[in-house]
Amino acid sequence: MRFYLSTLAGHRRGVLILLGWSMLEGIPAFFGGRLVGTAVDQGFAAGDPLAGVLWLLAFAALAVAGALGQRQVFARLGAVVEPMRDALVTRVVKGVLNDPSHRRTPDASAVAMITRHVEVVRDATAGVLVQARALLVTTIAALIGLATTAAALIWLVVLPIVAALLLFGLMLPSLAKRQRDAVMADERTAEASGAVLTGLRDVAACDAAAEAYGDVAKQINLQARATVTVAWANSLRATVIAIGGFTPVVLLVAFAPPLVASGQLTTGAVLAAVVYLTNSVNPALHGLARTTSTVVMRLMVALKRLQEAAPRTGKEIGTEIPANGEFVLRDVTFGWSPDAEPVLRGLSLDLRPGDHLAVVGPSGIGKSTMASLLTGLMPPDNGCVLFGGAPVDRVAPTVRHHAIALIPQETYLFTGTVRENLTLLAPWATDEDLVDAVKKVGAKPLLDGLGGLDAALGHGGEGLSAGEAQLLALARVYVTSAGVVILDEATSHLDPAAEARVERAFAQRNGILVVIAHRLSSALRANRVLVMDGGKPLLGSHEHLLKTSALYGQLMLAWDPTHRKETPLPKR
Amino acid sequence: MTKPGDQLLFSTVKRDYRPWLLLLNAAVATTGGLLLPAALAGAVDMALSGTFVLATIVFLLVLAGVEILGDAIGIILAASITARATAWLRRRLTRRLLTLGHPSPFAAGDAVSRVTGDCGNAGSVAVTVISLAVTAVSSVGSVIALALLDWRLAAVFLVSAPLAGYLVRTHMRLTADDVLAYQEVSGEVSARLLDSVSGLRTIAAAGIADRETNRVLEPLPRLAAAGAGMWRTQAKMMWRAGLLLPAVEVAVLTAAGFGVMEGRLSTGDVLAALGYAALGMGIVGQMTQLTVLERTRASAGRIAEVLDTPAPKRPAPKPSNGVIELRHVSVGDALHDVNLMIPAGTFAAIVGSSGAGKSTLAAVLGGLSAVDAGEVVGDDAVGYAFERPALLGATIGRSIGYGTDADEIQVRDAAVAAQVHDVLIRLPQGYETPMADAPLSGGEAQRVGLARAIIRDPEVLVLDDATASLDTVTEAKVDKALTTALPGRTRVVVTHRPATAARADLVVWLEDGRVRGTGTHQELWNDEDYRAVFTGGE
Repeated sequence: MRFYLSTLAGHRRGVLILLGWSMLEGIPAFFGGRLVGTAVDQGFAAGDPLAGVLWLLAFAALAVAGALGQRQVFARLGAVVEPMRDALVTRVVKGVLNDPSHRRTPDASAVAMITRHVEVVRDATAGVLVQARALLVTTIAALIGLATTAAALIWLVVLPIVAALLLFGLMLPSLAKRQRDAVMADERTAEASGAVLTGLRDVAACDAAAEAYGDVAKQINLQARATVTVAWANSLRATVIAIGGFTPVVLLVAFAPPLVASGQLTTGAVLAAVVYLTNSVNPALHGLARTTSTVVMRLMVALKRLQEAAPRTGKEIGTEIPANGEFVLRDVTFGWSPDAEPVLRGLSLDLRPGDHLAVVGPSGIGKSTMASLLTGLMPPDNGCVLFGGAPVDRVAPTVRHHAIALIPQETYLFTGTVRENLTLLAPWATDEDLVDAVKKVGAKPLLDGLGGLDAALGHGGEGLSAGEAQLLALARVYVTSAGVVILDEATSHLDPAAEARVERAFAQRNGILVVIAHRLSSALRANRVLVMDGGKPLLGSHEHLLKTSALYGQLMLAWDPTHRKETPLPKR
Repeated sequence: MTKPGDQLLFSTVKRDYRPWLLLLNAAVATTGGLLLPAALAGAVDMALSGTFVLATIVFLLVLAGVEILGDAIGIILAASITARATAWLRRRLTRRLLTLGHPSPFAAGDAVSRVTGDCGNAGSVAVTVISLAVTAVSSVGSVIALALLDWRLAAVFLVSAPLAGYLVRTHMRLTADDVLAYQEVSGEVSARLLDSVSGLRTIAAAGIADRETNRVLEPLPRLAAAGAGMWRTQAKMMWRAGLLLPAVEVAVLTAAGFGVMEGRLSTGDVLAALGYAALGMGIVGQMTQLTVLERTRASAGRIAEVLDTPAPKRPAPKPSNGVIELRHVSVGDALHDVNLMIPAGTFAAIVGSSGAGKSTLAAVLGGLSAVDAGEVVGDDAVGYAFERPALLGATIGRSIGYGTDADEIQVRDAAVAAQVHDVLIRLPQGYETPMADAPLSGGEAQRVGLARAIIRDPEVLVLDDATASLDTVTEAKVDKALTTALPGRTRVVVTHRPATAARADLVVWLEDGRVRGTGTHQELWNDEDYRAVFTGGE
């Protein structure tokens, strides 16, 4: 919210121009009543039709000026609203991409939600600027107009309006709460029905139609109830505003007779006062009530959601410079929360250039945690992960990102040329470097098939198979100068032969290679193997582990029960 | 011209008595609203005469009270009617979609938008129709009231209003192009954000978040330009709309002015004329309601389409002690004339390259989906587990017991058997962790899905590639645990792994929706084409 307001304040000039045009828009409200009154008073009622028509034409001319003002207001709205939307989108995207919690990545529906909320903020801001501004200008203009024509009655008019607005302001918090509840109920209904309808197969498989229906129906009914609750609050608000708007009219006509009789008020003044109230003030008041209850609430909810989607990150930036390219892990322990079982316990490990480590173990045991710890994305709970003698998460980011490269299982490809995708981490790489890297990881046929480095890729590597996408991600890291390469199941969609080729290519780079293994054949190629099984981690060479670890033997046996040999897959 | 959804809309309105209340309330409030300008005129005339008449003021107060109270009641009634109708439609639609079962003729995203969006639109039908009727009545009433004041006023109004209304309408279309351009660029930004979000780990590890932010935001200037275009077009529309009411007002006021001069009308009547002109113009503002009504009918049509879809016939499966038999079974393009007999207690593996019809066969033989032709004799107690299970239920524990009344201990036992207990106790709140907060990897979700199958203690267990994301040691553990937890059950496994096929008693080899061969893995292994299924034909 503070961000939102400060962004709006940043466009003060635009807002001021908007207000300037609003003055023009307010002119009919200011003169309208008086002109109608004069037209009758000095024109038609005085038997001078020409004067009456002329006064009415003046009224029409002012209306045209007002409409012109309104036109300018809308045309200028873009200059305030669009930059505000730009700033908002920039901040949300930055927040999402800098999100420190890399455990739960937002999915397609979350991105769609972000888009929707940004649009709500845009529309609602425009709505508030149009409505609230119009209310302000119109009411003030009309009240001034009223004061100049029927000054004696001004307090009868102002007091009820002020009282209604005060009461309305007092009602706002509870109105806001109900509106928020209704929005939440709406979202929960969409979530519940979305979960069940995308999982119809599983509902059928579980024979759980009754439970699924119950879950969804519960949210549907709660949502209906929340809507009616909001309606009660809205109804009360409308009543307060309507009474506040109509009371001045009644007071006016009730108190006017003695003043008219004594000559203090002319016919035209009474007429003008009523026109001011019914044609300008009342519509503006109703507009205010409508805007606050719906638009402002939608705005608040959307801003809150956007803030949740993109939390502001205040990460400290490390400044340590590593002395060399070696990793030293001592007694490293890590768990997702203090209550949960740690996924890694008491791991000690040294890695030097030339080392090729394979990490194997059952799925879900936290092998990817190793990757996050080594890249400094997360600090360990206990123990230390030192890179060149410095805690890796405290190493200066520029140094760290150049020295350590991670290729995760989920590939990042974006819309652009193949070249742009391949030079993501090494913008300085030449075409020869790129083609060489592509050849090394065995992606040359793929590159040729795509049509070379200038070929365009669609969103998310659209049209490529998962394996092909992984090959491009691998070539992208191969071309960098990173001394430490971590493959986190980065070859999971390649066939065994292609996987072997990739691992050998990276091993020949003479840096540190860590392979978080998808297939156990990766362990055969490594000179050291780390077995993670939830307990104390085991470390050693393949032969050593075969002799000493029952779990490791079991892993190998399960891999290929029919052959009992260390062949990766049955060959023809 | 009736549309398929009209019948549905009719029954939506008919099932509730509240629309009649709303109509009654609207009738009273509209009458009050129509009398109000005349009463105001009377009150002003009274004020100008310089004498206070209590009855005139009381009449004005009563009419205003009726209108204000009517509005307040109307807001609540309208919300209540729409909310009830929407909820009723949503419940009916959800129930129907659940009855249609799997595979659903409606894509999941489409079905969700019908439940959330279309039901909301269709639910507002009564309120939309009544508000249209009320506007029409008060517009007609205003013209009559103008005519009662002076027929010339009504004539001037009737000539000027339609002309003005036409001006507004022709410019409604202008915005469409701008909106389209805006939506396209906005979609491009979303697609770019989705790309980056999928590669969040790469971005974080390489420290290139700022650079990638710029990449995502590249189309932003175009978005701002399209947005500015939208505002400019809207400005043109507002300009016309802003002229509309004053133009009619000036016309009517001029006519009224001459009326005053010639003594036909009082000064207060000028006010009344102004009020009735504004009230009569209400129908121009309500033009959009006609579009809303069309949208409502279209939405009702989409709901009716689902409700009118006949449920596929599924023969009620009888207990068969685990024997499964398929006779001449065909399903769309997926399966053709499949004959199969799986004896009780058999461990059968279904293999074949992707697109061979493995999942369809798995769905058919457990009675999960219906067949187009042929006959399936299967068991009524079938447990299913999938490659990508949709885990439903409020908490992770409940997702295992989904559709059953299993207690905590049974849930735990099933999780232990599926080798996922160790993972679940490491979650922030253990088994009580809400589904939305449970960060499960593909392999973990698969094992929770397995636990969900195990807890039902089925006669037949169908695993549709349900261990594909598990590494081999975990898969072997799960396999062993399944044998211990559910001894002697028929087990059908869709798999890509030779080691799994090798363990099976019977391998069913599918190719292009037909059974290419059956036998043991060793027997089939001699066939080059069979080996190609596993090695990808290298």
